[in-house]
Amino acid sequence: MRIGRALAGGLVNVGIALTALRTNLMRSILTALGVMIGVLAVVLAVAVGSGAQISVENTISQLGSNMALVFPQPDTQNGGPTRDVGKLTERDARAIERSVPGVTAVAPQLRSTLQLSIPARRVSTGGIAVTEGYATVTNTEVESGRLIADTDVQSAARVIVLGQTVAGKLFGDLDPVAQDVRVNKVPFRVIGVLAAKGSSLGNDNDDLALVPLSTGRQRFATTLPGADDLNMLFVGFDPAVELGVAKQDLVRLLRARYNVGKGDVQPFTVATTEEFQAQSATVTGVFQAVLVAIASISLLVGGIGIMNIMLVSVTERTREIGLRMALGARRRDIRNQFLVEAAVLCMIGGLLGLILAMIAAHVFERVADFPAPIGLPVAVGSILFSALVGLAFGGYPAIRASRLSPIEALRSE
Amino acid sequence: MATEPPLLETRDLEKDYVVGGETVRAVAGVSLTIRRGEFVAIMGASGSGKSTFMNMIGALDLPTSGQLLLDGNDLAHLSTDELAAIRNQKIGFVFQQFNLLARTSAVDNVATPLIYAGVGAAERRERAARKLAAMGLGERMDHTPAKLSGGQQQRVAIARALVTEPLMLLADEPTGALDTATSEEIMRLFEQLNDQGITVVLVTHEPDIAQYAARRILFRDGRVVEDAPVTDRRRAA
Repeated sequence: MRIGRALAGGLVNVGIALTALRTNLMRSILTALGVMIGVLAVVLAVAVGSGAQISVENTISQLGSNMALVFPQPDTQNGGPTRDVGKLTERDARAIERSVPGVTAVAPQLRSTLQLSIPARRVSTGGIAVTEGYATVTNTEVESGRLIADTDVQSAARVIVLGQTVAGKLFGDLDPVAQDVRVNKVPFRVIGVLAAKGSSLGNDNDDLALVPLSTGRQRFATTLPGADDLNMLFVGFDPAVELGVAKQDLVRLLRARYNVGKGDVQPFTVATTEEFQAQSATVTGVFQAVLVAIASISLLVGGIGIMNIMLVSVTERTREIGLRMALGARRRDIRNQFLVEAAVLCMIGGLLGLILAMIAAHVFERVADFPAPIGLPVAVGSILFSALVGLAFGGYPAIRASRLSPIEALRSE
Repeated sequence: MATEPPLLETRDLEKDYVVGGETVRAVAGVSLTIRRGEFVAIMGASGSGKSTFMNMIGALDLPTSGQLLLDGNDLAHLSTDELAAIRNQKIGFVFQQFNLLARTSAVDNVATPLIYAGVGAAERRERAARKLAAMGLGERMDHTPAKLSGGQQQRVAIARALVTEPLMLLADEPTGALDTATSEEIMRLFEQLNDQGITVVLVTHEPDIAQYAARRILFRDGRVVEDAPVTDRRRAA
């Protein structure tokens, strides 16, 4: 009953507010513009922030969903001297595949920049020397031809699989499969083209080329000291495996293999996709918060505009306030009337800001190829938040209006 | 039937204002009674205290001292919300400048007091329309004040004053902004309303207008100097 009356009273006030806002149409529009720009900025900041989050998550899932990465870098996380040399070998990879539970495949890798050329063209790209396990661990597929197989690795075949970007740069629309290409001046045969993975966070995931691990070891200019040293090792796990546990198993095995004692620095670093996700969520969360905080300043300015105009409005309409009090309006009726007016003004600005933000986000996605999603909660939230801005900044003028003495208000000209 | 209290009773009513560090006694001890159904004209020059007195009996302003009983309620002891309710339920104001809300239709103007009485939208409109029709403005309900003549605007204002069925109409120079013919028309309307039993308290400085009332109270220097029946009363009908 009380709620029903409050709602009905609110509706009456919306009507009064719209009439008042129409009376000073130009002023209302300009004031709403301030809020519109503020909401536009905040909504865009939220959208870009979530876009960054999505982008980072995509990058991580491009790596492969349930996987650990091992680098031959001394893990200085627990302190200790950093001059220790890192170590990671193909034998480690085989040991992990054999004895860590839940491993689906391992992908030992060597990495180097490669110069690829055909008679007419020349490009440089990131080369990865891999075994058959690479495709399994990283969910990599070919668009045409085939992937690197274990037989290629055994025979150290001079074969290469091109990423979409590299294939396009060298061969244009032609199918590169079975074409020859020189890799660091040595002739190779193209055996496949990878399916496109797109780009994430400005990184082109298709700018790479794969060769057999053994071939890479012969041809890459590596500075690794050992005969079977690796630059990197991916370990794929069954989706049912708990990555935290898997990481512990992995670390225990490698520590045993390198005789790492308690308190010693281990010569390798293990990270999981789960950890990357958690880290990036923190980073993008901070990024988003900073963006929103900066954007909020413009909303604050819009809110101050609301307060300014509402103070003017209260002063101009002192006589109306006096009349309403004479007709029986209580202080809270007057207060609510002006609060609703400020909230309505802000919500109109907020709605316009939201619409503009949606258009801007759409254009941004098209032009910059960067996701900037505006979900329903953000849309609804921005309108409610606009109303809140109205209530906050309209509060002081509204209370001032409600405190007027009826007789003095009626006498004012 | 239990004896009803007088509509209005004041005893030693005083009102002081502080202007520029000096205290001005605008109303200096007024004791009088107005009964239900009376038609009273309050007269006096400007500065005589009649407006201050009217504001107090209209629950718009509180006395500095003395008693002010409206329908048995001592206004000096009511909260601002209770005073608002008194203005809403028991008093109908009519102003010199009509004080209608611009860009608001006649019917919505008349319905405004009902908003503060907590009446639902449909009933508000229906009751406002009925009062407007009684004022002979049934055809102009959706006109805004700008499209109405002065006399029509004042009739809308009277309909607004009556819409909550108050005990008393309190009219402050209601004909001050109107020409002679329209003034007479409005005064006839007050006369008819009084004949129907509505108490009318009229504040004016024009003797002609005061002649429509049955009782004349004259203020000077914050005091009542004359309170007598109107002997040369004008009756329109």
